[in-house]
Amino acid sequence: MQPSLRHLPRALRTARQGPRAAAAAAQASLRQQPAPSRKLSTTSPAASSSVNETEISHFSALASSWWDPHGPSRPLHLMNPLRHDFIQSCLSSPPPSPSTTTTTTTTNPRYLDVGCGGGIFAESAARLATTHSVTAIDPSATILSVARAHARRDPSLTKNKLVYLNETIESLPLPLPDQDEQPGGFDIVSLFEVLEHVDYPSAFLERVGQFVRPGGWLVLSTIARTWTSWVTTNVVAEDILGVVPPGTHDWYKYINAGELREWFERKNDGGGGREGGRVWGVPRVMGVVFVPGLGWKEVRGSEKVGNYFLGVQRVA
Amino acid sequence: MDAIIRSRAAYVCRSCTRSLQRQSRRSYSSAPAQPDIYDVVCVGGGPAGLSLLTALRANPVTSHLRMALVEAQDLAKIRSWKLPPDRFSNRCSSLTPSSALFLDQIGAWSHLERDRVQAYQEMQVWDGVTGARIEFDWTPGSAPAAGTTIAYMNENLNLTSGLLSRLGELGGVSMFDNAKVERISHGEETEEMDLREWPVVHLSGGKQLSARLLVGADGANSPVRSFAGIEARGWDYNRHGVVATVELEGEGWGGDHAKIAYQRFLPTGPVAMLPLPGNYSTLVWSTTPSNASLLKSLSPKDFIAMVNAAFRLGPTDLEYMHTQGSGQAEEYSWRLEHTPFDYRAVPQTVMGVQEGTVASFPLKLRHADTYIAERVALIGDAAHTIHPLAGQGLNQGQGDVQSLAKTIEYAVSHGQDIGVTMSLEPYVSERYAANHLLLGVCDKLHKLYSVGSGPLVPLRSMGLSAVNALGPLKTFFMNQAAGNGTKVF
Ligand SMILES: Cc1cc2nc3c(=O)[nH]c(=O)nc-3n(C[C@H](O)[C@H](O)[C@H](O)COP(=O)(O)OP(=O)(O)OC[C@H]3O[C@@H](n4cnc5c(N)ncnc54)[C@H](O)[C@@H]3O)c2cc1C
Ligand SMILES: C[S@@+](CC[C@H](N)C(=O)[O-])C[C@H]1O[C@@H](n2cnc3c(N)ncnc32)[C@H](O)[C@@H]1O
Repeated sequence: MQPSLRHLPRALRTARQGPRAAAAAAQASLRQQPAPSRKLSTTSPAASSSVNETEISHFSALASSWWDPHGPSRPLHLMNPLRHDFIQSCLSSPPPSPSTTTTTTTTNPRYLDVGCGGGIFAESAARLATTHSVTAIDPSATILSVARAHARRDPSLTKNKLVYLNETIESLPLPLPDQDEQPGGFDIVSLFEVLEHVDYPSAFLERVGQFVRPGGWLVLSTIARTWTSWVTTNVVAEDILGVVPPGTHDWYKYINAGELREWFERKNDGGGGREGGRVWGVPRVMGVVFVPGLGWKEVRGSEKVGNYFLGVQRVA
Repeated sequence: MDAIIRSRAAYVCRSCTRSLQRQSRRSYSSAPAQPDIYDVVCVGGGPAGLSLLTALRANPVTSHLRMALVEAQDLAKIRSWKLPPDRFSNRCSSLTPSSALFLDQIGAWSHLERDRVQAYQEMQVWDGVTGARIEFDWTPGSAPAAGTTIAYMNENLNLTSGLLSRLGELGGVSMFDNAKVERISHGEETEEMDLREWPVVHLSGGKQLSARLLVGADGANSPVRSFAGIEARGWDYNRHGVVATVELEGEGWGGDHAKIAYQRFLPTGPVAMLPLPGNYSTLVWSTTPSNASLLKSLSPKDFIAMVNAAFRLGPTDLEYMHTQGSGQAEEYSWRLEHTPFDYRAVPQTVMGVQEGTVASFPLKLRHADTYIAERVALIGDAAHTIHPLAGQGLNQGQGDVQSLAKTIEYAVSHGQDIGVTMSLEPYVSERYAANHLLLGVCDKLHKLYSVGSGPLVPLRSMGLSAVNALGPLKTFFMNQAAGNGTKVF
């Protein structure tokens, strides 16, 4: 299915990247084939920030309805249990090679949730009996105040289990090695539905990766950039079903699973690892589809079409 | 906090304890008492409430939850319930094999007095006006081995007392019995926390329990349901269910290993004879309130005659006998001589009725608009009340419990707050339609057979309407038996 030209004016309106991208969209739609590949540009401005102000104000405006189970964040709420299932499948996956020593997974993981929003995932991770602690960051102060207020509704979410920080990944200090000179970092760094909203995703991911301890996992979810995803997120989800408010998604920022796989592989080239070996393991990908009325379902191969999870272990 | 102070008190002198308490009181001066916070507060210790707590405690994923039970009755009496082997309580329910399997999975089935539980393998159901039989047999080809259990007859007290015994073995649930819920309010906001959406249960005696999830297992007049503002819709049948424990001439036409349940549809409502161990059976007779009060007023001899008549004589004979203040025994033997019937197609003759077991309950249909609200879930009769003609009320409650326990387990293992509607939604979607279907089927059956004349009656004798109306119910019963027909003991 391709977007009809009838929808194009809307695409032009919602596209916030200016005429170049809009023209590309128009061109692509005429060619009737999936969009141009996205270069995960490594160049970011000197005063580096991944934060796009338009995006932040968009989410800040949603803050008050964040925890309304029938509000615009409902798809995120419904997706949340799947995130835990996906993390479990990552943690229980066989280690990349028998000789790897750094892959020992802790039984009491420390989480860093990047772009935590109202805290849907952060709260749930903190509630798990096995969790050591959750640090959750978001650039929007408005959303964080909603997150903090909501956490007070559950007395089990104590301050030593869950901490919210109004930081960007760039402003958050890098983890220090611990007493035994072992590299520090988090056991699980999560990045759910954030990547499609950041500028300079390559520099952003690079920085996020530094917070994962060797042996830990970077886990993310995002949307693939295909015509189907354009139709389902921008036309179906925003306009027809109204499950997310218009303007939530900027399709030109979507990154495909294949592009991310390639990105992690490139990071291994030339041995970025401490002993000149690989930095990242082989990413695991799971495609999911939102079925109105039923929620999210895993559908094999659907990572090429729409939403997907990607988990990758930092091996060194 | 309470517990901390108490445990410290063991080591500290009295006056120091007092100052400690005063201190802690001062720091929460805005609130009257530090809230006693539970993950699950279950109001109602009937079959549904006790099964839920047992299921949650028996599951390692949910066993760490802090749980409390509030029950108006004295649980010690139920725990120590005991009757001689030849006496049976009048409140009995049939447990389907899937209910029994569930009770076994949560470790409760073995805590029941098993020789008081009676399995039955056959059902005889017929139309009291036309005599047409409604066959509950298997479709050709799919017939399972003879002797498959359709359901187990069991005293409700055997179940609740067994569940209490299992809960005692598991431990860890705070029991507040002899305690009525006086009022339910919402929590407060303090410096550290915001409990304004948390229900607070106020017990007679002043105790207050704050609930992450408040479960209403508090029966048809559920105070929890009223607190949540959930409407229960339906109607009264203007019928009462007369129950009694009776003794028959023998252990049944099929002997001890092929027990039969009988039900005859009379224009006033169905009358059922359900097998208990040995020569005993339990009677459930749905009839008009005036017939019910007459039956309760009769001497044992006349009552027995009425029960025997209910399975053998014509509706007009019965109608006449209901107008007699006494003397039914003589009337019955006279009329029986003039009524031809196949004696092996009806239950064996009732010889006695156990003293004090004749009682009656008003029958109604109710279905709550939903089973959940923020931090509230309803199970069992608090969520739905059904006509007893299919013996499904308690079983529906077991289905609710199984589903809610699974829903809570999923929420806990995925870090969800078990009290929020988002976490509870799967419970409603799994149970609501299923319960609604069964409520509707039983209601239609009642209505279809509640007429003594008119256009529906000839249809009934052709078996057409019967088969159609019974379609889902028959399938339901047969699936229950087929899917989970394994004997649990
Ligand atoms: C005549 C008749 C025959 C039946 N036959 C069958 C059958 O064959 N098969 C079948 O499956 N079902 C049958 N049922 C239905 C079955 O009895 C009920 O469905 C079942 O008992 C409901 O269990 P429950 O735990 O939901 O509620 P209940 O058994 O009603 O338990 C509710 C509990 O809550 C407590 N409570 C209520 N209010 C408060 C309060 N404010 N504070 C503290 N505690 C409170 C009560 O004391 C009680 O213990 C029959 C019903 C009738 C009337
Ligand atoms: C769709 S929401 C997802 C929120 C949360 N992760 C969840 O799934 O429940 C996107 C969030 O990313 C945040 N965000 C946007 N740009 C960001 C950036 N550059 N760095 C970190 N977070 C960002 C927004 O403030 C918003 O809260």
